[in-house]
Amino acid sequence: MTHTVLYIEDNPDNTMLVRRALEARGYKVLDAETGSKGVTIAETEDVDLILLDINLPDIDGYEVARRLRSNIKRKLMSVPIIAITANALKGDAEKALNAGCDVYMSKPINIRELWARVEAFVPAP
Amino acid sequence: MQSSYISHLQCSGCGTGYSHQEIHTFCPDCQSPILTRYDLPHIRERVDRDEISRRLKGMWRWHELLPVESTDNIVSLGEGDTPLLRLPNLGDELKLTNLFVKDESTNPTGSFKARGLSAAVSKAKELGIKKVIIPTAGNAGGAMAAYAARAGLSAYIFMPKDTPFANIEESRMAGAEVILIDGLISDAAGMAGEKARAEGWFDVSTFKEPYRVEGKKIMAYELAEAFKWELPDVLIYPTGGGTGLVGMWKAFDELEKLGWLEKTQRPRLVSVQAEGCAPVVRAFQKGALFCDFWTNAHTLASGLRVPKSFADHLILQNLYDSDGTAIAVSDESILESQKQLARLEGIFAAPEGAATLAALKELIKQGWVHAEERIVLFNTGAGLKYINQPA
Repeated sequence: MTHTVLYIEDNPDNTMLVRRALEARGYKVLDAETGSKGVTIAETEDVDLILLDINLPDIDGYEVARRLRSNIKRKLMSVPIIAITANALKGDAEKALNAGCDVYMSKPINIRELWARVEAFVPAP
Repeated sequence: MQSSYISHLQCSGCGTGYSHQEIHTFCPDCQSPILTRYDLPHIRERVDRDEISRRLKGMWRWHELLPVESTDNIVSLGEGDTPLLRLPNLGDELKLTNLFVKDESTNPTGSFKARGLSAAVSKAKELGIKKVIIPTAGNAGGAMAAYAARAGLSAYIFMPKDTPFANIEESRMAGAEVILIDGLISDAAGMAGEKARAEGWFDVSTFKEPYRVEGKKIMAYELAEAFKWELPDVLIYPTGGGTGLVGMWKAFDELEKLGWLEKTQRPRLVSVQAEGCAPVVRAFQKGALFCDFWTNAHTLASGLRVPKSFADHLILQNLYDSDGTAIAVSDESILESQKQLARLEGIFAAPEGAATLAALKELIKQGWVHAEERIVLFNTGAGLKYINQPA
C-alpha cells in the first residue's frame, strides 16, 4: 500500500530533494508552497503524514499545525506532523511541539534520518 | 616529499565520492557529512611512523594524513602534541592504576578547537576561500578568528550571548565580526547558514565542511604513539558536536589500514554530556541511529549545549561499534570534579573536560571500568577561559 506524504515548504530546492528521497522509498508526495495551501490539500486529500516547514510566506508552520489539529476532518487531529526548520529563532523546537507537531527536525535534512523518521510513522511499501 | 596523500572526499551517508580540489560542504544528495580519504596503501609503503616521531613537534608533523597539499598553505599557531599526563593522585583516590588526561588546554587559543580550525582554515586558504563564517558555543569561534587572522581571511561569528566572555573578546581581538544572539548554537547555525548562502561566506560549522575532523583525528595518532603503538582501553570524551570522537574513530581505522599498530584492539568510547543537554545519551539508551533534538538545553558547560549534532548518526555508530557507552552528568558534579582535578593534579580544566572525570566516577560505580585499564580523560580546554561563570 502506498502512503501519501504532504510536504509544506516554500523552497523549491528542498521540495525537490525531499520528493526525490521519499519517492525513491515508494511514497507518494504532494507539495504545497504556502501554509494555507497546505491546509487545503490536507483537508481535501487523503494524507498519511505531513512534513511541515516552519518559515512559510503566509501563515507560519505553528499556525498550520494548530489549524490541522483543530480541523473538522478528524484524521488531521492525529496525522503525524514532522516539523522542519532552519533554527532561525530561539525555541523553534519547543514551539513546534507545543503547536501539535510530533517530531522536530532541523535543516539541513539528512535523508537517512528523514527516511527513519517517516518510516517510524508510516512504513515504506 | 609529498605533503598530503589526500585522494578524494566521500559522503559518510551514501558513499558518493567528491573531488578534494573543489569546495564542498556536506553531501548535496543525502545531506550527510563528507569525510576525507587518503591513499593509505602508498602511505603504508612510503612513510615510516618512527620517522614521524622524530619530526618537529606539532599537529602538522602528520602532514601526510592531513588534507593540505602545499605546505605553503598550512596555517599553524603551534597546535597539537598536547601532553598526555598520568594522574597518580586522582588515580590513588579512585583506585585506578592507569589513569591519564590528554590535556588539550595547551593548544593555541586554549582549547582543542585549534586543531580542527587549523586544518579547516588551511584547506580553505588552499582552495582560495577568502571569508569564513562559524556558529559557535565559544571556543571554536575564538580558534577560527585566530587562524583566519593568521591566514588573512575575513571572519564572521555567531555565538550565544551568554558565551564565556573570553571567547567573545578573543574573537573580536583577532578582528572577527561577532554577532551575539539570543539562542543556542543550533540557532546560531541557522543564522550562519543563511548568511553563508546569501553572501558567499564559507561555513566551517561542525561537520558542514570536511576538514575540521581531520585536525581533531590527530589526537588519536598522538595517543597511539604515546602508548607505543597500542591503544588505550577507554577514552572518555565530552560530546557537543562530536568531531573529536568521530575523528579519533576514523584515525583508528586509518592506523589499522596503515599497519602502524602493534595491537589493533580499539578503545571503548565514552560520550559525556550534561544532564541539561544529553541528546546522544538519550539516543544511545534507546539504541537509536539518530538523536532527537534536545529542547530547552541548559548547562554551565557551554561546549556541551548542542541540542543535536549534525553528525549524530556517526557519533552513535562509533559508540555502538566500540562497545562504548554514553553518560550524562550534572552541573554540580562537573564543578566538583573541576575542583578535584585542580586540587589533586593542578589542572584547571574547562567544565567540559571536568565532565569527563564526573562521568568516570559514575562508570566506576557501575563497574564499567576496571582498576588496571588504561583510561584517558580529555580536558578539551583551559578553565581560565570560563572564569566569568559561577564557580
